[in-house]
Amino acid sequence: MKIVGQMAIIFGICWISELIEAVVPIVLPANVISMLLLFFLLAVRLLRPEHIRESADFLLGNMSILFVPAAAGIINCWEELQRNLIALVVISLVSLVVTFWVTAASVTLVIRLMKRGKQDD
Amino acid sequence: MTELWSSPFFGLALSIFAFWTGVVIQRNVRWAVCNPLLIGALLVIGTLLVFQIPYEAYNEGGSLINLMLTPATACLGMSIYEKLPLLRKNWLPILAGCTAGSASSMGSIYLLCRLFGLDREMLVSLLPKSVTTAIATSLSASHGGVVSITMAAMILTGIASSIGAPLLVRVFRVKNPVAAGLAIGACSHAVGTSRALEMGEVQGAMSGLAIGICAVVTILLSLFVF
Repeated sequence: MKIVGQMAIIFGICWISELIEAVVPIVLPANVISMLLLFFLLAVRLLRPEHIRESADFLLGNMSILFVPAAAGIINCWEELQRNLIALVVISLVSLVVTFWVTAASVTLVIRLMKRGKQDD
Repeated sequence: MTELWSSPFFGLALSIFAFWTGVVIQRNVRWAVCNPLLIGALLVIGTLLVFQIPYEAYNEGGSLINLMLTPATACLGMSIYEKLPLLRKNWLPILAGCTAGSASSMGSIYLLCRLFGLDREMLVSLLPKSVTTAIATSLSASHGGVVSITMAAMILTGIASSIGAPLLVRVFRVKNPVAAGLAIGACSHAVGTSRALEMGEVQGAMSGLAIGICAVVTILLSLFVF
């Protein structure tokens, strides 16, 4: 019965999130709202991780299987994809390298500044 | 013949069987290219093409799997919550890195899309591709992008980062494990995180945390950009 209660909580949060999505004027997907809502409920201790632990671990641990139908949907936009294939590959790889470098450089910089700040004290 | 795939169980069974086949292949081959999601999607596409099954028939079951994405994404809130102590200890570098990383990811994609002369639909589909799949696809969909194109870019990014992450760490001489983990998490997804875990515990934890924080930062940025 433990899992039943956990799923009720999780599905309930999703349901409320979709209601919020319909009401809120900015474009914020229900997915994202449900994540923020669950975080909020945990942060104000209305929920504890133990209340949803097993179900949450199951869903998080098997998340990639949930993307199979969307990925197979490539079949529907194959032509558009083929037309832009080179652009898609270049954009994916270049932005990957740029993002890596910018993140690594800024973190290194901040850590160095913090160390210098400590020495000055 | 159509009776064979008119039931939603067809799409359910095919999706799960295809993914499971991918997991078994990856376990035996151990190449990053043999990503279970890639193999699973290709197997589904192959089956639909060979037996001339319409995608809509497959999606009767497929959409049920898709539906479970919202509860799974909700649970990401729990994984961010559980990493709060780690976040508190390194909050400044994490916040700076994830903000710079998310902004540079979206900025570079925007510039490249302009360079290639792509239309708005492609731009919106590609912009969120560096964050975790569930968030990226829903951001893409809600702003008028094509989810499948987002998926294609994400699978490509995932595989490239899993092969390239150690190389990038070496090329850019990233010695600090916190910086390496955050950088991997910011530019890739769970696939990259599993690679970061192989490099060390700090790298793995930071990479996982970067995925969550970058998602939140990208959501905030997307409110202004789109």
